[in-house]
Amino acid sequence: MRVDDAMLREDPTMSDTFLTADPNDTFSMLEGMLATAAPRVRSTDVPSVFEVRALDVSYGSKRVLHDVSLDIPEKRITAFIGPSGCGKSTALRCLNRMNDEIPTFKMRGKIRLAGQDIRGKSVNVTALRRNVGMVFQQPNPFPMSIYDNIALAVREHESRIARSTLDGVVEQALRHASLWDEVKGNLKGSALSLSGGQQQRLCIARALAVKPAVIMLDEPCASLDPISTARIEELLLELSADYSIVIVTHNMAQAKRISDKVAFFLMGRLLEMGDALQVFEAPQRQETAEYVRGAFG
Amino acid sequence: MGPLQDEGRHRIGSRVGIALCWAAAIAVASVCLFIIGYLLVQGWHSINWTFLSTDPVASMTEGEAGGVRTPMVGTAVLVLFSTFLILPVAIGAAIYLAEYMDERWWITRIVRIGLETLASVPSVVFGMFGLAVFTLGFFKFLSASGTEGGNMAFGRSFLVASIVMGVHVLPFVIKVAEESIRNIPLSQRQGALALGMTKWRTIRKVVLPAAKSGIATAVVLGMGLAAGDTAIVMLTLGGTMTMAVDKWWQVGNWVEVLKGAGSTLTSYIYFNSPAGDGNSPGAALGAAFVLIAIVLVFNLAAVLLFRRQQRAA
Repeated sequence: MRVDDAMLREDPTMSDTFLTADPNDTFSMLEGMLATAAPRVRSTDVPSVFEVRALDVSYGSKRVLHDVSLDIPEKRITAFIGPSGCGKSTALRCLNRMNDEIPTFKMRGKIRLAGQDIRGKSVNVTALRRNVGMVFQQPNPFPMSIYDNIALAVREHESRIARSTLDGVVEQALRHASLWDEVKGNLKGSALSLSGGQQQRLCIARALAVKPAVIMLDEPCASLDPISTARIEELLLELSADYSIVIVTHNMAQAKRISDKVAFFLMGRLLEMGDALQVFEAPQRQETAEYVRGAFG
Repeated sequence: MGPLQDEGRHRIGSRVGIALCWAAAIAVASVCLFIIGYLLVQGWHSINWTFLSTDPVASMTEGEAGGVRTPMVGTAVLVLFSTFLILPVAIGAAIYLAEYMDERWWITRIVRIGLETLASVPSVVFGMFGLAVFTLGFFKFLSASGTEGGNMAFGRSFLVASIVMGVHVLPFVIKVAEESIRNIPLSQRQGALALGMTKWRTIRKVVLPAAKSGIATAVVLGMGLAAGDTAIVMLTLGGTMTMAVDKWWQVGNWVEVLKGAGSTLTSYIYFNSPAGDGNSPGAALGAAFVLIAIVLVFNLAAVLLFRRQQRAA
């Protein structure tokens, strides 16, 4: 883990310098970065945090996932890729049972988190979601202060937490989400006054504050500009030292830059899953090859 | 004439249509402004400290008709009590309708139809119904007792009027509150659920705080409605202009005041205006001035609160 961290920091494509560089150069640097983005090399031969077996999902009579089986490696970044409507978001939302809120949702198959069936009788869905944090496509901070956005999440699970302890938890969460330095003077300010990228990092901080094991992100950068996107990607790479991360993205370059493992979905099926290097450089299926080369999607 | 200079068949029609819409809008605004302006100008003559600080006197002579102190207090008591009574029901029903019900359930349809019917019932019908119910002997604790030895209640008091008025404004308050709860974006609910909050906690901790200025708007609109209604007051607050007790401001008399008959600004206007029972148009206009001022303040507060919600969302 430590070695990986060091590797990350030395990776020239992820350096801090381009963020602080002259804005005029930023775009050319970004372009260069996208062009040279190479799949990262980090062993995915680690224990699995999630094991999904024979997952079938339908909404009403519409079948959206067919026989999906996959493993999510611990403390790595797994990317779900595929064209719109391929089922990648649905698969993600099965992992914290967010689909349960949809009345017509039906699923079959097994999903185990750390060996435990997440749909077992003794499982409390709120405990599951606390362990599997989620960040959405549109930043969705609550319309309250920056501090309260995080404090609310913490108090929800530790109602008797002392104010001083809470202050510490809030600060730590904001630091982890590399937002602390930007907001420390304005914790009482409205979360809605932050920029889109800052709001998204606040949502990540909020998820981190309840100490999850897994963080899932559903196209977290879809509504952000390239610079905010780069900051989030950098943050995810840092966080992957301590958390298992699953990210849904339709941005091929993003998947290449940050993921260790890639799952390619097409029309409700998991077509191919493997180490990022393999999927991008030597895909086994014709469709994967065409998709990662940008032929469709 | 080239294609770009073509006059077009619909050009004149469009202009006439736009002009008619403008005229209609201006007509509405001028009627409204004229009525308010007339009442304000006419009523202003009657407004002075004595008018605001003396109790009404039943008299056919304008100069001896007294002021609007107890009617103002009556309006305040009625508005506050009716709001206080319905608040838990209104918010609870609004939450149920916005968050929990499924339009396919039969109970939902019954609740919806019930609310719409309730909203379309004229207030005089509520007043009549209230009087029929609250004169039953069982409800003696809400109003002064009726005839000696009889088994009927008087059925007219601030408590009775507050209950009836509450039922009258309830559907309006529920509707506006429900809308403001529905306006909180789904993304925020999902964000809360994804943090491991239960649905109820999500509503309590995220949705309701975000909707609170909208809910306050609903309540303030309901208060304005309650302040302006006349039929319910006439029927269930009694045909009088004074309080049941002379020294109504003494705490020890409050229970008796609430159980007794009284008046509000609306019934005061009726009893004094030549169109009603009285012969004191000046006093009626003065009371109308005060009433309009109160209702305008409520509406202004509602607009300000609504803007706040818009900004927050």
